[in-house]
Amino acid sequence: MKFLDLIRLIFGNLGRRKARVALTAIGVVIGTAAVVILVSLAVGLQKSATDQLYGIGDLTLIDVMPAYGMFYGGGGGYGMAPAVSSDQLQEPALITNPVLEQFRAIPGVQSVIPRDYLNAAAVISYRKLEGGVGIIGIDTDDLANIGLEASEGTTVLSRGSVIIGVMTPNNFYDPRLRPGQEPPPPPDLYNEQIQLVVMKWDQQGNVTQKNISLRVAGVLSETGGEADYSIYMPLELVRSLNEWSNGIRINYNKTGYNQVIVKVEDPNLALDIADQITEMGFQAITPQAYLESINGYFLVLQIIFGGVGTIALLVAAIGIANTMAMSILERTREIGLMKAVGATNRDVLSIFLGEAAGIGFIGGAGGVIIGWLAAQGINVLAIIYLAGQASEQGGPPPSVAVYTPVWLPVFALIFATIIGMLSGLYPALRAATMIPVQALKYE
Amino acid sequence: MTSPLIHITDLKKHYQMGGTTVRALDGVSLDIEPHTFTVVMGPSGSGKSSLLYLLGGLDRSTSGEISISDERLDQMDENALALFRRRTMGFIFQSYNLITSMNALENVAFPMQFTGIPVSERSTRARQLLEQVGLADRSHHRPAELSGGQQQRVAVARALVNNPSLILADEPTGNLDTASGITVMQLLSDLHRSGRTVLVVTHDPRMTRFATHKIFLLDGHVVSEDEYQSAALEVP
Repeated sequence: MKFLDLIRLIFGNLGRRKARVALTAIGVVIGTAAVVILVSLAVGLQKSATDQLYGIGDLTLIDVMPAYGMFYGGGGGYGMAPAVSSDQLQEPALITNPVLEQFRAIPGVQSVIPRDYLNAAAVISYRKLEGGVGIIGIDTDDLANIGLEASEGTTVLSRGSVIIGVMTPNNFYDPRLRPGQEPPPPPDLYNEQIQLVVMKWDQQGNVTQKNISLRVAGVLSETGGEADYSIYMPLELVRSLNEWSNGIRINYNKTGYNQVIVKVEDPNLALDIADQITEMGFQAITPQAYLESINGYFLVLQIIFGGVGTIALLVAAIGIANTMAMSILERTREIGLMKAVGATNRDVLSIFLGEAAGIGFIGGAGGVIIGWLAAQGINVLAIIYLAGQASEQGGPPPSVAVYTPVWLPVFALIFATIIGMLSGLYPALRAATMIPVQALKYE
Repeated sequence: MTSPLIHITDLKKHYQMGGTTVRALDGVSLDIEPHTFTVVMGPSGSGKSSLLYLLGGLDRSTSGEISISDERLDQMDENALALFRRRTMGFIFQSYNLITSMNALENVAFPMQFTGIPVSERSTRARQLLEQVGLADRSHHRPAELSGGQQQRVAVARALVNNPSLILADEPTGNLDTASGITVMQLLSDLHRSGRTVLVVTHDPRMTRFATHKIFLLDGHVVSEDEYQSAALEVP
């Protein structure tokens, strides 16, 4: 029997029993729609979460630190020692300049940028206002190299200038403000001179101050991360301030850098390079790793949600099996006739399996359409609701709440068709193996 | 002398019914020549229909040989039997066995779906056959809209659609009124005259007028006409 003849016959037969097919298919419609909606919801949640993560972290960056608090015995990796003898504990490897060269030699590494925090009591003042924020020294001329963008001014660091995070002005306050007085609005610091006051105390408790005047050369765009609340300045300046404050000379070749940013050429290389750095005995953190664990979590969520929908689909499958079993009883003489006119067992099996699959396909197609439309509707409503929530609580509005990827309707349709076919397997086998004479004489 | 189209040797069909063994056919041997019109007669339970279904490969014998055109049906598997039926035989049943949701044309064309004949050719051939049985104007009527005689003529057209050399009919006039029965008999006779071999199982003695050969069955055995007549007289 030709495939086209088979398809024509199957849909012809289904068309002869429209009401029953429709009623049976409704179960599949509900099941498939449930699968599409629930998995779309899980995918939407994942997309929303990963989109926000993309916003927070540049996926080409790896934060590298000495592996404090970790043990490693030839190969590195994370993990706390459950029972480690003292001779197994080692001092963490230092990130010295030769190590930086090793990092730079890893294929796919674009740049290696050391950074350090100002490790001293410091206040930033602007006119009457004072602010306490994290001060980061960074060994690059341009913050664009670590994926930062300027909302005002430049990302290029120069002598005597700083670049501030967008939330930095919010941390400024008036120290002479009396209770009940309205706090001043956050100052616009762009292109203004600010004073960095670093303090140190001697053993008698006498304080010594060092005042440095700095110009705000740029304000960074919001990242949602640490940069929003930080002030960036050249690493050399931070180093000299740390030396002055702590009264020791800092030789990075002896003490190592506290933190290094490794920028890779391609986000897809980040995990691999992070692993290589970990194997060298350092702690390497990449947003990609978070992304992977989040993706793993959402995959489980998708499977659970999909499983709930599949239960509905399996209930529908019982309906298909019932319809097909009834159909075969009613059409027993027709089966006998098919065999009498030369249909092989395989032809009969194909016809009845095809009809069951056809019900699955029709229901699946209906379910995909309804599920997709419902997902779009829920998406619109959810975005409106979540945008309202976001504006009340602060934070970016979600770009997507329910998302139907292209593979989902295709998968759901194939899945529903296969479920239909499997439901029809037993009835179809019964039909195919009927003895023709008994089928023809069936009353 | 031509070799027989159908050759049956010691054919037996036994089956169990309620703990007793029914011997529907109990050692039937016969030959049927090609291009003949054979009528198989006998009282109910004599094994007529069993013989027809075994000849059609629609049932399995208990023992014995059945050859059609020198091919052993009793040794064929299900698939080979189906293909053999498709190219060699056409069936006509007492209760027509038309598919109620299909119109006359679709019913006639139905067997061609399994043969791979192009769709356009199927339609043309089905129309020709409906015309041949005098139902060209009823081609789009469903079985429920046709009389019994018309339905059986549709079934005759369907039996011819794959151009078989052997027509097997099981009580084709059993459900028909006199006039319709005669029409169907004449159609079968026409098929015989066109060169086909026709084998009809019937109770209807009028059918013998069209037949070239008669076979009488009694209690699963082939008997003479005299034995059959005397058995018929014993029926109260």
